[in-house]
Amino acid sequence: MKLLTHNMLTSHVKGVTKGYPLLIKATEVKVNEVEFNPQFVSRMIPKLEWSALVQAAEEDLPGELVADYETNEEFLKKVHRILLEVEVLEGCLQCPESGREFPISRGIPNMLLNEDEA
Amino acid sequence: MVGTRFFLSKEEKKVIRKQIKASHTLLKHEGISTTPHPTESVVVANGGLGNGVSREELLSVLTEAEEVESLFMPPHKPYAFVTYRSVESARRALTQLNGQKLQSEENSITLYLSYVNSVTFEEEKSVPLPEGLVLVEEFVSPDEEAVLLAAIDWLSSNEDVTAQKSLKHRRVKHYGFEFRYDNNNVDKDKPLRAGLPDECLPVLERCVKSGLISIMPDQLTVNQYESGQGIPPHVDTHSAFEETIISLSLGAKTVMEFRHPDGRLVPVVLPGRSLLVMRGESRYLWTHGITPRKFDMVPACSPHSPASDLGTNRNLTLSKRGTRTSFTFRKIRHEPCCCAFPSTCDSQGAASAFSPSPSSPPSLPCCHADATRLEEEYVHRVYNAIASHFSSTRHSPWPSVCHFLSLLPAGSVLADVGCGNGKYLGVNPELITVGCDRSNALVQICVERGFQAFVSDALSVPLRTASCDACISIAVIHHFSTPERRLAAVRELTRILRPKGQALIYVWAFEQEYNKQRSKYLKEQIKDMQHISKGTNSKLSVHTNRTAFNTQDLLVPWHLKEGKKQGEEDSGENTKKDKKTSGNSLPVFHRYYHVFQQGELEQLCGQVAGVRVCRSYHDQGNWCVILEKD
Repeated sequence: MKLLTHNMLTSHVKGVTKGYPLLIKATEVKVNEVEFNPQFVSRMIPKLEWSALVQAAEEDLPGELVADYETNEEFLKKVHRILLEVEVLEGCLQCPESGREFPISRGIPNMLLNEDEA
Repeated sequence: MVGTRFFLSKEEKKVIRKQIKASHTLLKHEGISTTPHPTESVVVANGGLGNGVSREELLSVLTEAEEVESLFMPPHKPYAFVTYRSVESARRALTQLNGQKLQSEENSITLYLSYVNSVTFEEEKSVPLPEGLVLVEEFVSPDEEAVLLAAIDWLSSNEDVTAQKSLKHRRVKHYGFEFRYDNNNVDKDKPLRAGLPDECLPVLERCVKSGLISIMPDQLTVNQYESGQGIPPHVDTHSAFEETIISLSLGAKTVMEFRHPDGRLVPVVLPGRSLLVMRGESRYLWTHGITPRKFDMVPACSPHSPASDLGTNRNLTLSKRGTRTSFTFRKIRHEPCCCAFPSTCDSQGAASAFSPSPSSPPSLPCCHADATRLEEEYVHRVYNAIASHFSSTRHSPWPSVCHFLSLLPAGSVLADVGCGNGKYLGVNPELITVGCDRSNALVQICVERGFQAFVSDALSVPLRTASCDACISIAVIHHFSTPERRLAAVRELTRILRPKGQALIYVWAFEQEYNKQRSKYLKEQIKDMQHISKGTNSKLSVHTNRTAFNTQDLLVPWHLKEGKKQGEEDSGENTKKDKKTSGNSLPVFHRYYHVFQQGELEQLCGQVAGVRVCRSYHDQGNWCVILEKD
């Protein structure tokens, strides 16, 4: 699971009002090399829940988006690395409100709910 | 040779002539050498299975003369070999029986007997054991056998003692979990106080060490059969027990019969102290049973012939049954069975454990719980089982879907809800794509291909509200079994869209022919059947692949093959040719579909607030809509 995907995910447990950002508890993380495309990354940024990304990323990202980030190559590279190169292979995602844990196995989060949670 | 008189009557001469002729025929055509010198073995010309004489008929004639030690009737041959206890006995038999007439059906057959030096027969191809069946002889020593038999305290059994004593029924005792004969299942919530007897541990450890089992069983059923007792043919309930079942035979040998749904019967001799291991087909598909008999036909044991080998027509003898006790060890199953044999699988809809009847058809669900169960068995279980084959038949993205994807602005966030094998996730590399599917197996394929995907239900998509620029749902919603669930699926698609975002939905159409264009799914020559049958009952019928639909809710077969094969694109359903070449043993899966009528999808989407249908069309046997969020 890449952090880009994590940014879109939310917990859907019954009764939860804001199920994101899910807390990442990783036991195995991989860093891949992905071709850097500055345009692609800069297009991605406005679509993100920025605060969720800041929380998830272990590197320090600015709490607010810098102005002119589109041209800030160093910034874009950082975002690129966090969003597209870091991959959680094993671990779980925890709902911030209910505490419910969704397992990640072989890079695949299993977000299925039980009958009573849906 | 015949009688003690020196002069032979006309009749006797005639018999001799014919006997000699028969001998010549045997030599010329069958390679059987007869000899004028008396021996213990005799060939009976015209007394064969090949010319319509049954074993019973021949035996009844033969035993009128002399006691028969063994009778060998090679299949399809017009002769048989008889062995007598002594040369003298053979001589007497030959004298009495040569030229004897035998009435077989409507024919009158004349038997001609000659001595032979040896009983020759072709080494026949033995009937193979059912797939997955292994028999290990001498698995326990006589001492171990005695210990195990002594460990069973029949008198303390909970069952009715008088029922045991009636001898009409075999005696049974359970350990670990109670097996219930009313529903042929186990009470998984009520383990018996006593676990498996300690005496069984060495045997089980030996099984694990030999690699016959990997998990320790937690259920034991001990059956004791007297002569004349048996057990009707059955398949052990799939949902009750894990795959591997091991059965230790103690005491007397018996013959267990395995029957395949196609009618094949394989008798297997189970000697005392042997271990039978059932896996795969022999566990899930073939029935096994013991006919209540006092005698079995077993091969006359020679040290080299495998006792289990009843398939060859070696000398068969009658074996009187004695008391046999079986220890059957099984592991309780806690998840539903997802084997490849749905016709005999109660987790996948099959009716009874006592015959491999075709799946008892499910009904259209009337409540959420039923719907969930139906979809679990007839959608999710199936896709997980067929994932790799299914994926190999889904390789070409549909042009219209690709067109939709290509129109999306670069950098758009796209969710593919029900992404399957990820066919569409890489079509437009400018997009930020994420896929989700209910099938773990299919999601794995997506991830293997380098796409981002997760496992979730389309009724509750774990994506943030308004997080997507677009989403697609291709061939997904038709798997939901109630209108409410189909509506809920559309609502989820709408929820995850940002304002002005678009969703593309494809569902299978009831009308496979539209505007005179037949979809690729249909075979060329099949006439259209537009009549919609609502059905007098709510049972779901099984559809015939590649024909027009005649009902909206149905089960569509999937014939499983190895993955990586080039199959049919549209749906992977096989052509008739494929069906012919596939053997009986290929598993068939049934997937539930609700096929949509013209206008139905639009009407469904019309019920969702905050979204409008901006385009609606028919594409290759599918009804399609493009929705736009307000």
